[in-house]
Amino acid sequence: MYPDDVKYHKEHAWVKISGSKATIGITFYAQESLGDIVYVDAPEVESTVEAGTELTQIESTKATSSVICPLSGTILEFNEELIDSPEIINEDPYGKGWIAVIELEDKSEIGALMDADEYEKYLDEEVKLK
Amino acid sequence: MKITILGAGPGGYVAAIRAAQLGAEVTVIEESEVGGTCLNWGCIPTKTLIASAEVLHKVKNAHNYGLDLEGTASPDIQKIVERKNRVVGTQVKGIRALFKSWRVNLVEGRGRIEGPGKIRVAFKNGSSEDIHSDKIIIATGSRPAQIPGFSFDGLHILSSDHATNPAFIPRSLIIIGAGVIGCEFAFINNEFGADVTLVEMMPHAVSGEDDEISELLERELKKKKIKLLTNTSVEKAVVKGEGISVQLSDGNTLEAEQVLVSVGRTVNTKDIGLETAGVKTGQKGEIMVDSCMQTSVKDIYAVGDVTGGIMLAHLASREGIVAAENALGGNATVNYDVVPAAIFTSPEIGSVGLRERQAAAKGIKYKTGRFPYRALGKAHAMGEITGMFKIISEEGTDRILGAHIIGPHASDLVHEIAVAMEKGLSVRDIARTIHAHPTLAEGIMEAAEDVHGSAIHCLKR
Repeated sequence: MYPDDVKYHKEHAWVKISGSKATIGITFYAQESLGDIVYVDAPEVESTVEAGTELTQIESTKATSSVICPLSGTILEFNEELIDSPEIINEDPYGKGWIAVIELEDKSEIGALMDADEYEKYLDEEVKLK
Repeated sequence: MKITILGAGPGGYVAAIRAAQLGAEVTVIEESEVGGTCLNWGCIPTKTLIASAEVLHKVKNAHNYGLDLEGTASPDIQKIVERKNRVVGTQVKGIRALFKSWRVNLVEGRGRIEGPGKIRVAFKNGSSEDIHSDKIIIATGSRPAQIPGFSFDGLHILSSDHATNPAFIPRSLIIIGAGVIGCEFAFINNEFGADVTLVEMMPHAVSGEDDEISELLERELKKKKIKLLTNTSVEKAVVKGEGISVQLSDGNTLEAEQVLVSVGRTVNTKDIGLETAGVKTGQKGEIMVDSCMQTSVKDIYAVGDVTGGIMLAHLASREGIVAAENALGGNATVNYDVVPAAIFTSPEIGSVGLRERQAAAKGIKYKTGRFPYRALGKAHAMGEITGMFKIISEEGTDRILGAHIIGPHASDLVHEIAVAMEKGLSVRDIARTIHAHPTLAEGIMEAAEDVHGSAIHCLKR
């Protein structure tokens, strides 16, 4: 449920780094708490986004929530499959359900993210108890 | 007392019936069809088209409700327009029957004020008739506004009048103006299969609404793949073969089969004898009236769109009632603070009172409460969960200042708040009132609770 090859942000987003690019999505926990996802708003490609701010919004049958961008950068690509099939996020949050790719601005920000073990511990100790 | 009314739209015909109820001898002059824009080219025709679009949408999504349908559903625009004509025809007959029942005399021609208490009616056959009365109520309404370089031809460049009577569904449609009318036609044409682009000068669609309502509607446009270009105006249009190309202020050009211009409405005050009568008009030609709906000339009243205010059928009707009562010795006024409005987009919008930005601009200390449709069991059962309720209230007094609803049946739901505002009720009055379950109206109760942070079906913040 929490693969080792990605890094995690406390607002329940994951990033997979590949060179100067990062692919972003939401975690298994996030999609599970949102429930059935019905819409993903397309962010503007080429716009910049700062770490810890809103990348885009997701609507589920339960709520409309922000997707928080774990790292700063410029949006290169949005997963257009999500326009007609947003439910892919529920089905495959770390694979076909990726949301966007950004060009990283400051790779040192990666250090602040959690690995899978840390994220699971964070979920158990801080999130799920609330 | 003899009263003559110019125009049989929702302002004029309602004034006529109220005046007749109060014992006046009433004549109504109408050059086109009773019911005016509202019934013939506005409110009712669009709602009829929307009803067809909604059924189409439901049928296409029947599988979501566990229904297996064979074959495909597609709009037959001729039959849709025929249905619209039947609906309009029934309503027109209804008004004519009301006139007969109240002994309102309907004169079908074009009226012009010729002197104190004197109106000359010109008939289509060239003859004319003079009508004398003690008081006159002007209710001549408005027509779609034109913009230079975009003359309506009904083929490539349409007004909203044309759009209520479509001969075919365009493959692609550019709509200039993303206001109430533009957005309603955007959703209708999109559902019928047209590729729709809205071009709007202002930064948002339905910019007269509360900002959060605009924001949510813009997302729904996006979901339907209706393109919206904001902060953009149009320069000129060139007919090109089968279609038309429109040059935008940003230098880009758009091409489509048809263009619909919906940039507002112009008052009908030309050549109705206002100068002869000495009736004062404003900068846009609108007739100036006082709070009793009387013009600058004693015994001449004006109501509805022609007065240049908020152009809404139901406001015209209220003004018509007020004018009729005052013409017959009453002392009625209109409460412009509580004018509910409805926009029949998908989903619908219902609003009344202050927008949040207006409350802020007035320096009022206010609170807001919100509740999503998504949190209502009824919305899930209906399969329509997009939308929100928002209530704005005055801090301290708890008095309701405005409400904004976007979602299914918003246009009906908003009236609970309209009554509450008319009676000066507080948010707590709404919250304490039991609302039936399962209904969408529960959302109003919850939004009222949320003003004080106590909505039941909201996670703790």
